[in-house]
Amino acid sequence: MKRFVLSTIMLLGCAFATKYPLTIKDDLGSTVVIPREPLRIISMLPSNTETICALDVCDRLIGRDDYSNFPKSVEKVQAFGGLYNPNVEAIIAAKPDLVIASKYGKLAERLNQAGIPVIAVNPETYQDIFKKTTLLGKVLNREKQASALNIKVQAEVKKYEILARSVKTPKVYFEIDPAPYSIGPNSFMGVILAKAGGQNIIPAELGDFPKISPELVIEKNPQVILGLSLADAQKRPGWSSIDAVKNKKVIEVPWELNEMLGRPGPRIGEALKGLVKLLHPQLAKK
Amino acid sequence: MQKSLPLKRKVYPTLLLTVGVLLLCVLLAVSLGSVNIPLVTTLLALWKGISNQAREGLEVIVWDVRFPRVLMGMLVGGCLAMSGATYQGLFRNPLADPYLMGVASGASLGATVGLILGVPNAWIPVLALIASLLSVALILLLSAQGKVLKTTNLILTGVVVGSLSTAISTYLMLNHKDDVRQVFFWTLGNLAFASWQNIQTMLPYLLVGGLFLQSLARPLNTLQLGEATAYSLGIPVDRLKWLLIIASSLTTAVAVSYVGIIGFVGLIAPHIMRRLVGSHYPVLIPMSALLGGVLLVAADLLARTLIRPSELPVGIVMTLVGGGFFLYLLRKNA
Repeated sequence: MKRFVLSTIMLLGCAFATKYPLTIKDDLGSTVVIPREPLRIISMLPSNTETICALDVCDRLIGRDDYSNFPKSVEKVQAFGGLYNPNVEAIIAAKPDLVIASKYGKLAERLNQAGIPVIAVNPETYQDIFKKTTLLGKVLNREKQASALNIKVQAEVKKYEILARSVKTPKVYFEIDPAPYSIGPNSFMGVILAKAGGQNIIPAELGDFPKISPELVIEKNPQVILGLSLADAQKRPGWSSIDAVKNKKVIEVPWELNEMLGRPGPRIGEALKGLVKLLHPQLAKK
Repeated sequence: MQKSLPLKRKVYPTLLLTVGVLLLCVLLAVSLGSVNIPLVTTLLALWKGISNQAREGLEVIVWDVRFPRVLMGMLVGGCLAMSGATYQGLFRNPLADPYLMGVASGASLGATVGLILGVPNAWIPVLALIASLLSVALILLLSAQGKVLKTTNLILTGVVVGSLSTAISTYLMLNHKDDVRQVFFWTLGNLAFASWQNIQTMLPYLLVGGLFLQSLARPLNTLQLGEATAYSLGIPVDRLKWLLIIASSLTTAVAVSYVGIIGFVGLIAPHIMRRLVGSHYPVLIPMSALLGGVLLVAADLLARTLIRPSELPVGIVMTLVGGGFFLYLLRKNA
């Protein structure tokens, strides 16, 4: 099936070449003209780096941010700092023909002043993952790879979503930070949690990443708690009365899975798979 | 700062009023929150908690979550206010607050290092406490000339050491982006996870620190007449300064070790009380403690309920509430 899809797309390939100069609107709302196909790219956001490599143009990366670590091969690429401390001078000196930056942290503005072509791309919602992949495909003259990638990732997501529907959905509290912060149902992590067969206890009106009252968790009484250790949950005042803590269903999220879940990029299907297995160990064999 | 030390006659009415407001705040704070709890359930939970019976549902929230949280607010607010009052008297500077001697920046540095190294949560308060006491010790060492402590030197050394700790914390945060939010929240103060156990651990130290400060209140009064006068009246001024700084630092450091840096209450509570009962320290210190407790419990109540079931950082609410009230008092008495 996959091969059939791919070959069909190959046949349609001739209709999929980007015409330069290309004019696009980026996530900062600026209109950017890209004169020719970019061959020297710096990506300053880990999720974009993953997408660029999944589009098969990893070899065009001449730079990345400090946190881009996937696929493994990008670790050899020169790092130019993080979101709040990018090395602007070094980026300019590297003469990229395109920098793909974050809309946060003012890097785009400073590169613009220096005359370096820059687009701000920030996938944030679940739908954004596919929209931004399409956009990057267009910019990098990899449109057919982008639609193939989207189809592949969506198929993977569908597969595990359907798998998770075969079992009961427990009430879940997912903690992303011990302040405590959790995830709302409309955030992209919240969407993945729902697809993995977890009923999020956080109401949507609290926003995407709300700081919540620990009492709320006691009151909602989740059956599973993700994102902290059982020992820590037991230590919290009043939490030992929560079903999840009583039944020892408090699960720490492995570091690598946590990283995938925090990146709206091409590994989201894989992240969903990991979350399904964490939530429903009985499905782990499938 | 008032030089003379009149004891206003309004002490007893003010005491009654403050205690009344405190009780009201406590009652509201244990009943209101992400879920509102009927008074009957609250009283039942209180009874079950005291007699150690099994609790269920809402009773768990009242006894195991809210009571310790409110009590922690009272203790921390009270201790910060006592230290604030002491420092304002010692330095004779209306802007002195409990963090003047590097306790906050030291504690933050300790907590930052702990959070970044990923030490178990139970050790964070210990690290914060050790680091804050170390930074106080460093300030004392650097500014002492023999046994003599010059007030200006102390304040300036405090500023330098504090800035240094803050700079190191900031640098560490920049290099560990994953832990930044946690550290940031610690520095804003958070009473969310106060537990009976934390309170049990802190209480002995806080009682010692508080009584220590109270016992120094009379000589502190004499110090208001100026160091030379106090000296000629037979007060061992330098030793008194050492003792005051050590007692205040210990109390402040223990108070913030579990809940992070809660600002403003230690600065504002003594000033408000000063306007109500005057500057007689043996009265001002315990009264400030009461008011500090009231202010922090009230601020935490608002922080928990304004956008419930989300929470605001208590330090931000504290500044708005305390600041507003204080400005009102200033204008009224102008």
